[in-house]
Amino acid sequence: MRFVAPVTVFVACLAGSIAALAADTPSSSVVAIVGGKLLTVSHGTIDNGVLILADGKIAAVGPAGSVKIPKGAQIVDAKGLTVYPGLIDPESNFGLTEISADSATNDLEERSDEIMPHMHVSDAFHSDTELIPVARLNGITNAVVAPASGDSIAGQDIFIQLYGSREQMMLGTDVALAMNYGAEQRRRGGPTGRATFPSTRMGLVTELRQTFLDTQDYMAKRDAAAKKSDAAFKRDLKFEALIPYLKGERPVVIGVYEAYDVETIMHLAQEFHLRVILNHVTHTQEVLDEIAAWKVPVIIGSIYDAPRANERYDAVFTLPAELAKRGVKIAISSADGGGPASSHSARNLPYAAGFAVGYGLPYDDALKAITLNVAEMFGFGDKLGSLDVGKMANVVLANGDPLDVRTDVKQVYIQGVAVPMVSRQTQLRDEYSK
Amino acid sequence: MGSLRHPLSISARRSRILPLALMAACAAFGRAQPTPPADIVIRGATVMTGSHGTIEHGSVWVHAGKIAGVGPTVSAPSSATVVDATGLWLTPGIIDPHSHSALDSDVNEATSPVTPSMHMIDAFDNRDADLYRALAGGVTTELLLHGSANMIGGQAVVIKNKFGLDRDAMLFPNAPGSIKFASGENPKRVYGSRDQLPSTRMGNFEVMRMAFEDAKHYMADWDAYDAKVKKGDKDAVAPKRDLKLEALADVLRGKLYVQIHCYRADEFLTEEAIAKEYGYKIRAFHHALEMYKVAPQIAADGTAIATFTDWWGFKDEARDAIPWNAVMSMRQGIRVALKSDSDDHIRRLNVEAGKMVHYGGATEDEAIRMVTLNPAWIIGVDDRVGSIDVGKDADLVLWNHDPLSTYAHAMKVYIDGDLFFDASLPGWGTTHFSGVMHDGGGFGSDDEEDGQ
Repeated sequence: MRFVAPVTVFVACLAGSIAALAADTPSSSVVAIVGGKLLTVSHGTIDNGVLILADGKIAAVGPAGSVKIPKGAQIVDAKGLTVYPGLIDPESNFGLTEISADSATNDLEERSDEIMPHMHVSDAFHSDTELIPVARLNGITNAVVAPASGDSIAGQDIFIQLYGSREQMMLGTDVALAMNYGAEQRRRGGPTGRATFPSTRMGLVTELRQTFLDTQDYMAKRDAAAKKSDAAFKRDLKFEALIPYLKGERPVVIGVYEAYDVETIMHLAQEFHLRVILNHVTHTQEVLDEIAAWKVPVIIGSIYDAPRANERYDAVFTLPAELAKRGVKIAISSADGGGPASSHSARNLPYAAGFAVGYGLPYDDALKAITLNVAEMFGFGDKLGSLDVGKMANVVLANGDPLDVRTDVKQVYIQGVAVPMVSRQTQLRDEYSK
Repeated sequence: MGSLRHPLSISARRSRILPLALMAACAAFGRAQPTPPADIVIRGATVMTGSHGTIEHGSVWVHAGKIAGVGPTVSAPSSATVVDATGLWLTPGIIDPHSHSALDSDVNEATSPVTPSMHMIDAFDNRDADLYRALAGGVTTELLLHGSANMIGGQAVVIKNKFGLDRDAMLFPNAPGSIKFASGENPKRVYGSRDQLPSTRMGNFEVMRMAFEDAKHYMADWDAYDAKVKKGDKDAVAPKRDLKLEALADVLRGKLYVQIHCYRADEFLTEEAIAKEYGYKIRAFHHALEMYKVAPQIAADGTAIATFTDWWGFKDEARDAIPWNAVMSMRQGIRVALKSDSDDHIRRLNVEAGKMVHYGGATEDEAIRMVTLNPAWIIGVDDRVGSIDVGKDADLVLWNHDPLSTYAHAMKVYIDGDLFFDASLPGWGTTHFSGVMHDGGGFGSDDEEDGQ
């Protein structure tokens, strides 16, 4: 296998909340990946396939013989390799942390107040983080970056690709609102915390409801002022931040763990017609039918969370399978139960999906849960997540099953560029292997 | 940081429910446990021995709790209970040389940097759900260690994961003693934050040297007394026994295996130099994330490592961690074990071993050994467990897939030839446990439970 890094240049124009990916800067090279086993995600497996990458996009995909290889294309022999779309982590903190224990390197959450929708991850995102190349080497090409979970409303997420300049990496800013509900948020104000409101779940819900009502009131006043061309109207950034979410224009990701908390927060979300993506839900086994009935997508993480006392050892391991069985659209995140509880472990994302397969999740559903489903949940379904013509050429070549820990990723393409398979860790390895 | 951690991970920790079953078990202390069949044959499995490669369609004969035969065929009596393991994999029980499970958060006596007379057995809670979850992950032996707050911590307890039996029936019989040392960031942070010694790595190591100077003095007093007694001096007065100095003297006498929490390359070298200065051996460095930088030097000292596969960046001294560390160190002659230091990862150490095929190209044999025979050596029980060899304890795990793949989980777990876990059973899958478990609580490691 021979790779020549093409000199593809691309410019991502940020337009509004979601970047319009400019394909108008043409790639000077065309890549033909030939002879691999293609896991298309959207339309099955092609055993001896051909994948053409051009202009940073997938130009053609199909069985050998059915796809014409353009003249002058760089041929990559993928015989014996598995070819699949880049993996997408639905919850990460890439660029918000470097050394977990060193608080100076962390921009994870603004803890001064529980209601912080006007915090933009895009303001803090450190694109040169060493965490990104480490994850990329295991085939992760895209991720949602979210603030940590200490606030009821923690801020707004970005959707990134794991290569390029900072501007290029941020494919979308303010793509979703990060919300949380449960014991962790309560504790901050509770007896062991600052003894300030809110210190109970009652307080948390009341505060959220009042915030949404205040935003609606603000929207009405703002609209009225606009009609009168009232230049004196003062903008409130906190309320402004919430407007797209109260209008249902963008998704709200709600981090919640327990069954009773899921019911409470869903009732509130439905009251305000929020477009919900549930997150975590690792202790909700008794309300899975309800979750299915709500028709909301679910991010499961960590699949390694501890079961409740006296539960069977695999109560959480089987959750992806149980949700998928009920027709719920699922994503699986890289969140680790033990270990460094941050995106240092994001490279293990495919193994979490594989673990779910071990506990009953159909293989195709597992692969979707870390590719196409994530793209669709966050508004990138037409651009990422499968090997389809017209999608961004984010493609991984590996020497085996992508969900198996023993598999080695050989090459990652992001927007058609063969990314150097180097991280600070490979540099250390090579330095001490001499 | 708490972003992706479970918020309830420290809840409900303190409930001390004493269920009827446990009281019954306590009342029946010392009774004979229900006896498993005298002879079992596990037939037709892919047998990964841990010591002498893999036997396709192999069989293992268990007699009276010990392995009596292993090979393509075995000559077991016809009365043996036969387990058809066609299509399954059989390995030795998984061994975790670094666990803090079942200690009800009593991991660190972080009130002094030198606490060698602490005994982890005093904190051991044999009803902790974390033991059950580890058993379901195929873990049959654990070294329960003191945490890393102290330069010289407490003495470990070795357990067999016979979940459901009495506390004492879960202890590994006649296992050698181990003592936990630490180094680096944790001790200096814990004591430095209180403006106490140590607050630097200089302080860390000097605390150790001072402790050993005390111990040498104590030993000399006792040696002098013993010499007097030997000479028949009836007026000889015995020195006062001091539990702390006695434990340190046991280190200097080579009676305890020294297990050191240590991350950085320079600290391995300093630890070895201090060990030589005072005349003890270091059994293993734990974590050892920078071993790849100095492996040849350390290999010469015979010290093993118990390492994470791919944890990094959670603290400054873990910044240079690379996932190739284990295999690179192994290739330089270091005996390498993988360990959990986590009530989460202990449930899937087999998958962690699988990563070693990916990171550095370990053979399947080498990878399995990192979670069986090598950790057994670190604990000092490799003559009895850690491989499928005739005469060893019948601690065995049957897996539904290749145990080094992501998809494997334990179907049956035997300890001393007795079935303790069977995934096909309804409910918990336990065979010796019924009652109420204590909540295992969080998935913390000693890095998070060191008194921050």
